[in-house]
Amino acid sequence: MATGDARVLLPPSITNGDAIYVRAIIEHPMDTGFFRTADGQPIPAFFINDVSVMYGDEQIAHFEWTSGVSRDPSVTFPLKATREAPVTVTWKDNKGGVYHQTVDVRFS
Amino acid sequence: MLGHGPDDDEMTDDVKRVLHARFGDRTLTKAHVQFDIPENAPDGRFVPIFLETDLPQTPDHYVKAFHVIVDHNPDIYVAGFWGVPSIDTRIKMRRTSYVRAIAETNTGELYVSAKKVFVTLNGCG
Repeated sequence: MATGDARVLLPPSITNGDAIYVRAIIEHPMDTGFFRTADGQPIPAFFINDVSVMYGDEQIAHFEWTSGVSRDPSVTFPLKATREAPVTVTWKDNKGGVYHQTVDVRFS
Repeated sequence: MLGHGPDDDEMTDDVKRVLHARFGDRTLTKAHVQFDIPENAPDGRFVPIFLETDLPQTPDHYVKAFHVIVDHNPDIYVAGFWGVPSIDTRIKMRRTSYVRAIAETNTGELYVSAKKVFVTLNGCG
């Protein structure tokens, strides 16, 4: 696993109208800038500060983070599954990194 | 030694300043926001937190955002979550502190709840 590896998890079986839980996880150090390495070098701040969630072509959620969110951030939130469409999560960090992950909502 | 701050949940001047910068002079009411967080957090690097509201979510009136405040963190404003009726995540805590969950409605009301969390291992450096 490396920085930016991400997963978006949905329940294995979804019916139209279900309130489902979406879990979004990404590998990221979320360095605060307050720590040093063992030999005294400062570790610069490096963290995700902006997350957006698209369901189809609609932005349904937006998160604003600081380095106070734990490393390898994970969030779980409910979503009303009203249509078959992709859910795309986009994470952006303070050094310009942009990471995407998409999973399709499919009704069974 | 446990607890560095006052025992009630009176906000520090720093917290008031951060809230004022974000919300202006809007009133915070103690109601309608619930959150789960361990009372004792052995590892300040990973403190699970779950936020929700008991307000009904209707098209005309709904919670549009949750905000997480940790009084004694270097960054007092930890995170904001727009567009979700509840959120489950993990935050860092430098030391024992009040944690405040704020729910903001689409019409601009602010609801708050505060809990003191005892932290054994520093999570912020």
